[in-house]
Amino acid sequence: MTMTRLIRSELRKLTSTKMPLAFLAVIVVMAGLNAFAVIAGTDMDGSKAFIATAADQRSLTAFAANAFMGAGLFGAIAVAREYGHHTVVPTFLASPRRHRAVLAQLTAVAGVGGVLSIVGAGLTVTAVALALPTTDYGFLVSAGDVFRVIAAAAFAGAAGAILGAGIGAVVRNVGGAVTSAVLVLIIAPPLVVQLVSGSGSWMPGILANVVSGTATDVAAPAAVAALATWAIIPAMIGLIAVRRRDVV
Amino acid sequence: MTMTSPTATSPTANSVVTAPTTGPQPCAAPAGGTYLLTVDNVTKSYGHHVVVDHLSFTVPPGRVTGFLGPNGSGKSTTLKIMLDLARADEGSASIGGRRYRDLSDPARTVGAMIESEAFHPGRSGRNHLRILADAIGISPTRVDDILEQVGLADAADRRAGAYSLGMRQRLGLAAALLGEPPVLILDEPGNGLDPQGIRTLRDLLRSHAARGGTVFVSSHLLAEVEHLADDVIVINQGRLVAHGALAELQQAASLARSTDPHRLAAALERTGATTQAQGGDGLVVRGMPIDEIGDRAFAIGVALHELSPHAGSLEELFLNWTSEPSTDKEVSKP
Repeated sequence: MTMTRLIRSELRKLTSTKMPLAFLAVIVVMAGLNAFAVIAGTDMDGSKAFIATAADQRSLTAFAANAFMGAGLFGAIAVAREYGHHTVVPTFLASPRRHRAVLAQLTAVAGVGGVLSIVGAGLTVTAVALALPTTDYGFLVSAGDVFRVIAAAAFAGAAGAILGAGIGAVVRNVGGAVTSAVLVLIIAPPLVVQLVSGSGSWMPGILANVVSGTATDVAAPAAVAALATWAIIPAMIGLIAVRRRDVV
Repeated sequence: MTMTSPTATSPTANSVVTAPTTGPQPCAAPAGGTYLLTVDNVTKSYGHHVVVDHLSFTVPPGRVTGFLGPNGSGKSTTLKIMLDLARADEGSASIGGRRYRDLSDPARTVGAMIESEAFHPGRSGRNHLRILADAIGISPTRVDDILEQVGLADAADRRAGAYSLGMRQRLGLAAALLGEPPVLILDEPGNGLDPQGIRTLRDLLRSHAARGGTVFVSSHLLAEVEHLADDVIVINQGRLVAHGALAELQQAASLARSTDPHRLAAALERTGATTQAQGGDGLVVRGMPIDEIGDRAFAIGVALHELSPHAGSLEELFLNWTSEPSTDKEVSKP
């Protein structure tokens, strides 16, 4: 009962500001860019080979990697602003057993991150499908593959949001949390790949593509587990930090 | 939940004046019973800086207790420890005999206002309260009621970031009152309120205490506390310097007018009293019973023209308590 109340409260927090709308606007722009790429883009030789096959179109519509990064930023902002605006104080007064509050927050952030990612994947698929008739190609992706692309985006979005929430809980100010999330999601992976051979397959972008079915670097269940691990480790660090720290 | 009687409490080790035995009695216990707040030997340091230093006091139900101290004296940290927002290095704090985190329904037992700006500026006042109502399981209709009660009904759907300072205080107060808690712990609730708001706040807190509620209010608005509080707890540098019924504390000084105030002052200070010159021949004496002042004046051959209880203002007392490094002063009634 308490958890239900807390999750409801956290969902209202997320939906009672304009932040989800801002992310939604970014998603719409990204879908539009995909449509524009289909309509106006060409390969080096001037052809439209990049949308010629079902696999090509599936790669174009696979939204999971974007969802992981975007939701990571969403989670980091959503949680860090709680500390910045001190709205975490009434939350911890309502739930002095802080792990419950944090779990409710993670659940809500993951839920909204997942929903935004579903919307993003759906809009991207729709935009590409609507743009393709302007070319010589039809929409070739099967319904099953569309479903997988959208499901992968939902999972990656939820995982990314949890990762971001963990970073937000540790860093506690929006600027620092966003910077840290960018470091973890965008800057660190290529550096790690340079330093550790064979690690490329385990970076979030590749893992998200494997989950979407557009890459085969590792087995899909392993990719799901690895992407979840990327999310859970910062979330656990955040949870421990929140439990141990004073609210100042 | 531990039910406690709303009777006066016995003084703690650091208490310097006996706990109150007078004052308004509760008319009816608030829902949820009455709660004694206890801070027991609490110490808290940040790095090498001791913020709260072996602090002990109790806050009885049925009364309004003011919590005073200079900036940085440890008031907010003490409140946060009481509410489990900060962890004490030593000692403990309890509400009705239980730690805050062990209360079965903490947010409906204690209404707290610790950070007056604890809201998202882009969120409406109504949504801010609905979020809290969701978290503690309160009907949305209660949100409308409390917005009306604190005078924010007309501004409820505006962004809280556009509220004036007084409106923000009202929103914080609304959040504290939302769960109709028997205990109120408020950090500087009067900041930014206009005179009408101050009056409303005072009436609200006094009626809450009169119903048997426990009201603990930190403030640096001494004139307001003088009008509001039955009891005061004063800390300086994290240590208790005075604790008791405000009326008794205000009487805990004597005025001695004499032929030789300088010699009298020296004699009294040698035995531990504190003195303060007043007028040409007067001394305000604290820390010594009035009879003893007369005896000592007689012993050194100083003729007294007047020896009477001296009622000081809270500001005068506060400055006296906090003007020197804190020690557990003995302030006795004249």
